[in-house]
Formats: sequence, C-alpha cells, structure tokens
Amino acid sequence: MFAAVHASSGEDGLEELARSFSPHIEMTSADTVTFDIGGLRRLLGGPHQIASEIAHRANERGVAGNIGIAATAETAILASRSLPGVTVIAPGEEARHFDGLRIEVLPTTDEMRMLLHRWGIRTLGEFCALPESGVLERLGAEGRRLLRIARGDGDRPLRSAPIPTGYLERLELDYPVQLLEPLLFLISRLMHELCDRLRTHARATTEVHLVLELEGGTEHPRSMQLPFATHDAKTLLKLVQLDLERHPPGTAVSAIRLRLVPVDPRRVQNNLYSPPAPQPEKLELTLGKIRAMVGVANAGFPEVLNTHRPDAWRMRMSAPSSKLSVEAPPSPRIAFRYYRPAREALVEMRSGRPQRMKSSNAVLTVERAAGPWRLSGDWWSAECYVREEWDIEASDDVLYRIYLARQKWFVEGIYD
Amino acid sequence: MYIELHSRSSFAFLEGASNPEDLVESCAGLDMPAMALMDTDNLSGAPRFYMAARKLGVKAHIGVEVTSAAGGRHVLLAENRTGYQNLCRLLTAMKLSAPKGKAAATELQFRQFAEGLICLTRGEHSVELLLSIYGRSNLFVELQRHFDRDEEARNQRSVDLARAHQLPLLATNGVRYADPVKRELMDVLTCVRNKTTIAEAGRLLLRNSERHLKSGREMARLFADHPEAVRNTVELSSRLGFTLADLGYRFPPYPVGPDETMNGFLRNRTQEGAQWRYRPYHERAQKQIERELNLIEKLDLAGYFLIVWDIVRYCRENGILAQGRGSAANSAVCYSLGITAVDPVGMDLLFERFLSEERGEWPDIDIDLPSGDQREKVIQYVYHRYGQHGAAMTANIITYRGRSGLRDVGKVLGYSQEELNRLASLVSLWGFKGENETVERQFAEAGYQRDNARVSKFMQLYQQIQDLPRHLGQHSGGMVICQGSLDQVVPLEPATMPNRVVIQWDKEDCADLGLIKVDLLGLGMMAALEESIELIRTGFHEEVDLAHLPQDDPQVFEQLQTADTVGLFQVESRAQMASLPLTKPKNFYDLVVQVAIIRPGPIVGKMYHPYTRRRQGLEAPISLHPSLDKVLERTLGVPLFQEQLLKMAMIVADFTGGEAEELRRAMGFKRSEKRMVEIEQRLRKGMDSKGITGEQQNAIVQSITSFALYGFPESHAASFALLVYASAWLRCYYNAAFTAALLNCQPMGFYHPATLLKDAQRHGVKVLPVDVEHSDWRCKIEERCLRLGLNQVRGLRQDAGAAIVSRRPYRSVFDLSQRVPELMKDELRQLASIGALNRIGDGHRRDALWQTELALKPVGPLLESIEPLEGLSPLRPMNPIERTNADLSGTGMSIGRHPVAFYRERLRAMRVLTTAELKRAGNGTVARIAGCVICRQRPETAKGFMFLSLEDETGISNAIVHPDLFEANRLVLVSQPFLLLEGIVQNAAGAVSLKVARVQGFVQESVAMRSHNFR
Repeated sequence: MFAAVHASSGEDGLEELARSFSPHIEMTSADTVTFDIGGLRRLLGGPHQIASEIAHRANERGVAGNIGIAATAETAILASRSLPGVTVIAPGEEARHFDGLRIEVLPTTDEMRMLLHRWGIRTLGEFCALPESGVLERLGAEGRRLLRIARGDGDRPLRSAPIPTGYLERLELDYPVQLLEPLLFLISRLMHELCDRLRTHARATTEVHLVLELEGGTEHPRSMQLPFATHDAKTLLKLVQLDLERHPPGTAVSAIRLRLVPVDPRRVQNNLYSPPAPQPEKLELTLGKIRAMVGVANAGFPEVLNTHRPDAWRMRMSAPSSKLSVEAPPSPRIAFRYYRPAREALVEMRSGRPQRMKSSNAVLTVERAAGPWRLSGDWWSAECYVREEWDIEASDDVLYRIYLARQKWFVEGIYD
Repeated sequence: MYIELHSRSSFAFLEGASNPEDLVESCAGLDMPAMALMDTDNLSGAPRFYMAARKLGVKAHIGVEVTSAAGGRHVLLAENRTGYQNLCRLLTAMKLSAPKGKAAATELQFRQFAEGLICLTRGEHSVELLLSIYGRSNLFVELQRHFDRDEEARNQRSVDLARAHQLPLLATNGVRYADPVKRELMDVLTCVRNKTTIAEAGRLLLRNSERHLKSGREMARLFADHPEAVRNTVELSSRLGFTLADLGYRFPPYPVGPDETMNGFLRNRTQEGAQWRYRPYHERAQKQIERELNLIEKLDLAGYFLIVWDIVRYCRENGILAQGRGSAANSAVCYSLGITAVDPVGMDLLFERFLSEERGEWPDIDIDLPSGDQREKVIQYVYHRYGQHGAAMTANIITYRGRSGLRDVGKVLGYSQEELNRLASLVSLWGFKGENETVERQFAEAGYQRDNARVSKFMQLYQQIQDLPRHLGQHSGGMVICQGSLDQVVPLEPATMPNRVVIQWDKEDCADLGLIKVDLLGLGMMAALEESIELIRTGFHEEVDLAHLPQDDPQVFEQLQTADTVGLFQVESRAQMASLPLTKPKNFYDLVVQVAIIRPGPIVGKMYHPYTRRRQGLEAPISLHPSLDKVLERTLGVPLFQEQLLKMAMIVADFTGGEAEELRRAMGFKRSEKRMVEIEQRLRKGMDSKGITGEQQNAIVQSITSFALYGFPESHAASFALLVYASAWLRCYYNAAFTAALLNCQPMGFYHPATLLKDAQRHGVKVLPVDVEHSDWRCKIEERCLRLGLNQVRGLRQDAGAAIVSRRPYRSVFDLSQRVPELMKDELRQLASIGALNRIGDGHRRDALWQTELALKPVGPLLESIEPLEGLSPLRPMNPIERTNADLSGTGMSIGRHPVAFYRERLRAMRVLTTAELKRAGNGTVARIAGCVICRQRPETAKGFMFLSLEDETGISNAIVHPDLFEANRLVLVSQPFLLLEGIVQNAAGAVSLKVARVQGFVQESVAMRSHNFR
C-alpha cells in the first residue's frame, strides 16, 4: 500500500510528515510526497485509520491538501492530485474513482495532451476504453504507462529520497561560559566533528554559521564567508577565534549551535611555471589577522572601478577571479599620491587660472598650471559629479592636483 | 574665424546625438559660415545636412569617417566632385565586399579612391602610409581639445608628428551633438551601440560634455598656443569646393536606333499607343498629346518616359499587370504609352500637376505591380538592364518611435524586461491620442511618477530619442537609375534581400537632390486581380480583359451602393461601408471621389459630411467662395483633391504655379510643419488682398492645410478607382475565382481570410475543403467551386505541399507518409485534423488522426514497406463545434458553420439580433448584437471613438464606442474575441451601426477568428 499527500499549502512540512510514517519515501514533486505504508497495518490499523492518522499529523505540521491511499504508488499519487480530501481506493475500484477525471490530470507532456485532445479523448474513462495494443503501437511506452496510470495499475517502485545529512551541531552547556578560551575549546569539539563528517562525505565548506545562545534568552549569531572551500578544522577554528575576538558575545554563553554549509571541495592543479602563491587558507588567516587590527573595510583586494569618476575603487574581500592585466600602459605615467580624504583649499584665480593656493595653513604661489581638465558623469544617479581639475606646480616645488567641485576647492594629492 | 570640420550627426547611427538640421542651426547661430558633416561609413545624413545648410546660408562640406580593415578610421573630406565620387565609390566597394555590418576598407581600396580627398589624422595610422595614399598637400594633423588630460598628451604627440613631417595642424572639436544637453542622450546611444547598461558602461561613456559645437572665439581660446590650427580650418574650408549641389547625376538615355532620336522614338511610340487607346483618336486627345510631347522635348525628358515605358513593356510582354499611379495619370502621353490606365483627356485631369515648365523638377511616375514574385522579377529586370552599379533601391531610414525608443532607453537605464513590457503595453498603438494620453500619464499608469528623478530622466531621454535614426532599411519599391555609375553619386549597400542593392538616401533625399526615382510598388490587389484572371481562364475557360471591362455595370454599382464590398480594393473598410449607402456611387467618377473621400484629409478638413449631404440632396452644392465654383463643380462645391486645392490657392491668393507646387510639396512632406505655417501666412495675405476674409478665409485655409499629410491627387484616385471597379466586377461575376485569388495573395486588405471566405459563402460560392488528393498548393477553381489550397494549412511548408501535389494519388495515410517523407509529424497531424486526409483515410478526421500516429511510428527496415492492417479507429468522430475549432486552429478559417451560429439559440433567448436582423431594425431602437470581433479601429481623426466590426453567420455589423465607454471597458474591448453589445441603432439611409451603451465578453468554447486592429 502507498500513500500520497498533495499539499496546497505547507509544502515545507511534507518530507517530515512522510518520514514520520516511513523511511521509504519519494519526493514526487515540490508539492507531492509518496510513501510506503505497507507495514503500518499492525501499528495504526486499516487504510482508513492510516489515512486518518496522516491527516491528523499533516494538520499538526500545517500541511493542507489531499491524501490518496491505494495499492500502487501511481494510483495514490493520481488520487491525491485529482480527488479532493482523503481518498482510499481499494484494489479493483480504481476505474470507479478515475473514469470521470479530465485527461489533463495525467502526468505527461503538453504534446501528448494535445494529441489526446485531438483524438477527442476528454476523460480517463475514454482513454481507458482505447485498445491497449492500438495505444502501444501509436504512443509507445509512454502511452502504455499513461494507460496503466489511468486504469489504476501503474505500478512502479518509489524513487527514494536520501536521508539528508546535516552539518549542524548543538551543544548545551552545563553551566554558562564567560571566557573566550573555554568557549573556543567547546567550539573546537563541534568544529572537528563537523569537519570529519564533511571529509567522510567528500565535502567541504565555504560558510560557517555560529550561534551563541546567551544567558537571558538572546542569541549572538556570527557568519563567515570563505573565498575557498575547505574542511580543515584548524583553519576554520582560527577564523572563528579572530572573529570572536573582534565581536565577543558580551554575556555568558549557555549553548552553542554550529552549522557548516556543504559545497564541493576545491580541486587545484598547481602550475609548474606560475610563481608560488600563499595557500588560500594561510592568506585568509593573515588577512583575518590584519582585518582584526585595521578594520574589515580597510584590508582586502583593492579594485579600480570601470568609470571616469576620479579615485573610484572598492575593497574586495577576495581576490578578483580574472587575472590582473599585465599590459603596459600606453605611455609612461607619473605616479600619483592621493590624499584621502582630499584636503580643502582656498584658490585664488586670475584670468581663469589659479594664482595662489592656501591649504593646511600654507600659502603657495602657483608657478605653472595645466588645465582645466573637466570631468562629469553618473548623471543618471544621485552620485552625479562635475569637477574641474588643475595640475599645478607650486612655490614649494611640489606638483599638486587641485579641483573645484560644488564651488569648493580641494587638493586631491601630489604627483610623486 | 573657425570652421568645424569634424562633426557627427545622428546619421552616424548611434554615434551622434543630434540631427543634421540641429547641427546646422547651431552652426548658423554661432555665425559659422561653413561646416563639415563627418558620419561614420555613410552619407545618409548628407542630403538633410545640405538642404538645411542651404536654407540657412551655411556651406555644407561633406566627409566620412571610413573604417579601415587595419583598424581605426580614415577621416576624409571631399575636396571636389572627384573626391566626392571617390568617397561614394570607396564606401560602395567596402560595403558590397563584406557582410552587412562588417564592412571595412582595405589599403588597396583607400589607394584606389584617394584622389580629391583630404585626410585628417590624429596619429593612429602611420603618417608615411597616409602620405603615400593622399599626398602631402592633402594631409592635416588634427587636434581636438575636450579638457581631457590624456587627450592633451596625444595632442603633444600630434604636434611633434606635424613638425617632424612638416604637416599643417587643424583644430576640430570632434562634435557628437549640437549642444551640451545632448551629452546624456549620447551616453545612452553609446550604451545601445555597445549593448550594455549605463551603470555598466564605465569608460565607454564620455568623460565630460565638451563635444558640442563651439564658437570661433571659444576654439581660438582653446587653441591659443596653436592659432594656426584654427586658421587652417578656414583655409581648408575654402579649398573644399564640393557641395551636393554639384552631384553630377544624370539619368540614362534610352538607346535608340542610329537614325532615330529619343524624341522621335517617343513621339512614334506615343502616337502608336494613342491610336490603340483612343478609338477614335479624337482632336482633343491629339492636341493634348502634342502639347505634352512638345513640353517633354523642351524639358529633355524623353529618355525618362522611354525608360518607364520600357519597364511597363517588359511587364506586358511577361504577363505582369502594371499600372501607373500618382500624378502620371494626368498625362495623355503616359496613357498612350500604356504606363497609366486612366484617360486624362476624358476625365479632364490637370496635366500641369504632373509636369510643368516652371517647376523644373523631374516628374514622378509610380508603377503598381502585383506584390511578391512578379514585382521582384521587374526589379531584377531593372538591375539587369542598368547594372549593379547603375540602379538601386532607395533607403528607408528607420527611426526611433514610441516603443522602440522606450525599450532601448529603458534597457540602458537598467529597467527590467517586465517593467519595460508594462510600459510598452501602454504606448498607444491606436492612431488616436487623447489629450490625456501624454508620456507622463503613460508612465503614471505603469506606476512611475515624474517626481522620481530616475523616472524623470527616463521620460526626458525617451522624448529626446524620438525620431533619431536607428538604422538603414530598404524602401518598399523606390528605384533610382543613373547613367554610368550610381555609385559615384551615392554610396550603395547590399540589402538584406539577396540580389538587391540599396542607396544610402531615402526617397525624400532623392527628391531634394534631383535623383530620379521610379517607384515599383507591390500592390496585393494587383496580384489578386492577375491571379483572378488566370483562375477564370483555367477554371471557367473564359477570358477577362481588365482594360475592357463593361463600363458602369448596374449590378456592380448596386453592390457598391449597398456597401456589399468585403474584399474589394480601397472600399471595403468599415468607414467606406458606412459611407457608400449615403453617397451611392453611380458611375466611374463617383468611385474616384469615393476613393478620395475616406481619407484623413477630407475628414479632418470637415469635407466628408458636406459632400455626403450634397450627394443625398440634403444641401445645396455651394462653393466656399463664388470664384471657386468652376474648380469645385465636379465635387459638389467641396474640395477633395490636391489639384483642386492648388487651383484654389492660385485663384483666391494669386499663387503662381511654382508657389502652388511648393504648397503641394509642403503638404506631402512630413518634415515641413514650419513651411506649412509660412505658406498659411502667404495664403491669408493673398486672400486679404482679394477681400476674402473672416470665416470664409478660415474655411478655405482649413480645407487647404488639412491636406498637410494625406493629400490625394485626383489622378491617383482615378487609377485606384479603376482597381476598385475591376475588383468589384470580378467579385460580382466570378466571386469564386476572386476569393481564391484573395486567399492566395494574403496578407492583404482589411479583413482576415476567414471573413473573406464567409462572405463568399454568403454570396453563394461553394467552397471545397483542403484535400490532399485534390488541393493544389494555391487555392483554385474546381468545377466552378473554390477549392482551398494547401497554402492555407498553418505550419505546412511549401516544399512539403509541393511534394504532396506531385506524388498523388495515395492509397492510404500510411502510403502518404511513406511516399512524402518531407512531411513532418506536426504537418501530417495538422492535415488529418482539418480533414485533408479524410478521403485517403477512408473515414472521418479522427480515423485519419488514428492512422497518422501509426504511420508516424518507425517500424524498422524489415517491416517498413508492409502496410499495416488497420480497421476503423475506436475514436468518435468530431462534432460540428470540434470540426469548426479544428478548422479555425488549423487553417484560420472554416467552411462549416460560423462559430457564432452554434450559440444562436442561446443568443436568441437573450434577445440578441443577427446582423441581417439589425439591418432591418428601426433608427433609434435599442438592440443587442453579438459576434466575433473582426476589426477594431480607433483612428486619429475620430477623437477617441472606437469602431468595431462584428461578424456572425449572417454578415458584418458595425458598432461605435464612445471614448468614455472605451476607457471604462478598455480591456474587454481590446482583448475579448467575442463581444455582446447593446446600444441604440443608427440607421441612416441603409448605413446601419450600433451606438454602444453596454459591452460584455461573450463567453464561448470556440476558437475565435482573428481580428485586424488598425489605427
């Protein structure tokens, strides 16, 4: 005997519902689960009692929909998808239930449905009335399968869904822990356990989610994204440690939940001729240490943005995947040293050219000036910019870049 | 002083953001005496640039940035006519030798066409190479300054280069738009070209807004360190002697014998033709022909007439129907040469409208040909006769309009496809746009408010991009012919259609620059008429000569007077049907008027109602002014034709013939609203001086200016009226053949094939279904009945259809599938389901479908030749509704009952009238009608009213929906295939329609026939 549940709401609870009855379940579709109820007679009684218990447990889990119970899986599925409420079909009674159903309920392709429609077949009863050999000759194995489903003798084994392996561990502490060291010791236990499990399943992780349950009922969640996949417990633990040092829980911890998100492991073939690079784990650890010192936003991989906006760049947490361009610039360029942030200045203009500049309490005479260089862009966004730049050689023999934006002058930096 | 010698217009196709006229206007505003247009790889914008410049007194230099196969572009200016011709030939050579969109000139081609060209370089190519191609005196080193640090470094290298090679410097601004505000649009166009969004375009965008046209003073200041670079622009400009006024275009002469002249040859052919046309060849005709021939000789146009005559002769000799339209029908010479079919002497048409000494421009002859293969044959004949470089099609400049602009701008600004679909669906497709149908409202309806900065920018750019050229297309039929090489006059490009070459100018440009164009237009009705005659010949064994149809046949006119006109040329539309019972045409001239009266011109000019009332005798035929009585006599005092309006202007405002002609061109000329205003002022002034003032003056001005866009010449209407009469006569006497031809020539006309078929059936035509044993590819006549052809089967490919026809008879469905392996699965199923296999399936449609599936299953080589033993199928036959549905989905039409007929009982219970009953209903009574919507219209001239045509089993009924009701029921009205309408019957002298008060979708299970939706 098989049972099928077709959910109209609460699809998330379907698998759990089925597993509460049988280890032998099939996730037929996102909204349908089918499971073997062969051994439940002794435990729960006849098919009607089983159906009633399924309905009861479904209700408890917030699953609403139809239930079909029949001798074969396909019949149970069809019943749950096509007939409202709970339907228990005794062997031999399939035709009585199915004959009037519209042909559209058959699980098949649009092309096949269109063909049956052209044949004038509107119901399963009409379809079943066709000679099996005629259907087989014309529609092949698919036709035969559909005919069997329609007749209620479409038998097939369940495509069992594997029991999901979790990479989640929870540890409830006998007494609250306040210090980081003993806490890390406990986390280390969980981390090793989960990493062993990952290794056993030939998996690795790129995401660590740690939740510290605190005294007083609050939680202290921490998450980390890694730029590489690993199952090395030591590395992961070190990263957790660096993170917790920066973001300590503040209150005593009463329980720990640790979850690793499984991904395929990294496969690397090192190139004999490429220069050796630090191992990603080591690099990440080093970066972690630097970030702990200078702040997350101030360490990473700087990337110049594709825009004319001056000094536009961003800090990436991981190295860009594409190789850096090694092409030489079209002409030799002078290196430029940016002041961040740019320094405000007062500039005196004469005949449209800068004459004197006062910045950081120094008053400088402009010996030579090149410009103006005009820049404007991002007109489609709130960050639109308009500026006029000058390169000036000042009386202190330094080559500055100054600019006027929003009616204020700034020194952007110096040419090295 | 400074001359801008490097500016791109929007005709650089996405590389420039201002139209040539705007560039010229800015140039004139800056007091710049000359300017050069420098689009990329084309000269499409040159005529508009030249015309605008001429008007404002600016000298228009011509240049092109030509893509080099070695990378980069050669920036070239035409110094003289040789240079211009070389530029055209260079572009032609590179375009014709590469796939579309991938053209680039080779070094050899640059060398071959270098004479007369001046090259500007910024150092991207080797100077030695450029010197060897163009010569020292023709090479300038270009400097551009856009306040850009990197560019300045390049400029320094350019200056060094110029010094090293002793070459002159030249300042330009590399203009991309006329004024700085267009920079944003330029950025958007750059994104469209690079298929990216504005947020991701990065450094593809401009660095600042400095690429606009700048004044001499500004440029002098910018190049204060190189004043010679600015001075050189003036010097170079003075060297550039070429403008488009010096095109050197000549129409080819017609080859005549050694002892003959073209004039003599034309005279002989005309006299021969006149003897054949005029029986007897009366004095009036002789005089008119003599007068015309003298003028043609004087204007040296004999060659042109002979070339058109040659094309028409080719058509005649190859059995292709051809008929001149347009103003050519005013000429007795054209009539005698067989170019046109209307006798202008008999109809008293105005020859000056076609050709006048004063005007000094080429006459315009358009030839209507059967659309499709026959027209292509004629086009290929012209190519063949004048060579690939001697004849070409005119271009059609595809511009941004409504949805295309919205989609491109929206995509660039990062709007999602769903958002754009929603916005695009609100762009009005109807001709009519209400006062409230603004861009703001359209955006607001889609949930976007103007106060949002991003939305506001979108709206602004959407409006700016309108009418900017997007790419070059091909005009439907305009051909330009040239003596010698056309590629020296204008660059040629390969068209997307094989064996076709297209020039880079559109037909207006050709007219502006004096290129002679012969329009070879495809007309679906010509093809249908041609095929009707053939079907009558083969199906009825009778000969019909369209040139000698019985005139003024009462039966034909009775059909026309009762608006029984489905399928007829020009008079089948809903508006025509509403008008015919009122105007009741009785003779050929009435048809000429009828063709002209349902046009936006007369409707907007409020001439329609006075004319119909006068036709009905309800109003006296009084002219707008007594001086116009004679001119307007034939049209009952109402001006309807262009010729009348020209004469009116000459009478009431003392316009000269030339001024009247300018008025005419302004009328038909879309770009000339300004000209129309100027002309109106002149008209009013003229009338003032003649004492025509006040209301009378307003009425005359309105009647003239309302023809602004859609003026219709009388001669053109007369040519069309001939086709109206021919189609009406054929439908009256050979409806089966006529309908078969119409079905074969689809798509054409106002109605869907299903409506044409039902109309024919209601007129007693017996229609036979598609049958693989009897149907040919095209519909045909079989025992005086119409046999539907395999071409009507949706999804059936022509080669499979031809294979079916060539290999019959068939013993069974299996036999068919075995012997016609070209047939694909779906095609065989389609044939079975529409009943085309019933005869060989030996049963009903579902028997055939049952057998089809078996025949389609491969059985392996051992058994494949053995026919399966098959009894009748277990499937039940289709019922009538199922058959109709199968027909409609398989062929788009059904010869069985009309879909609405199945619901007649139910409709009767709801007191719904049939179309036949509606026609008998009294004026002002309340009635209900129901049917499938075969046509929806919301024309520009109808102030928001919607017109619906509903078809049921008894005919077609018309309904009018008030704008308020339309707004309230928009979705039902535009999307429901079947409608039930209730309203008040309007019955005016037999023209019946329903003024709708209530609308509802009429729920049914049938597949609907398709509707045609029009502006």
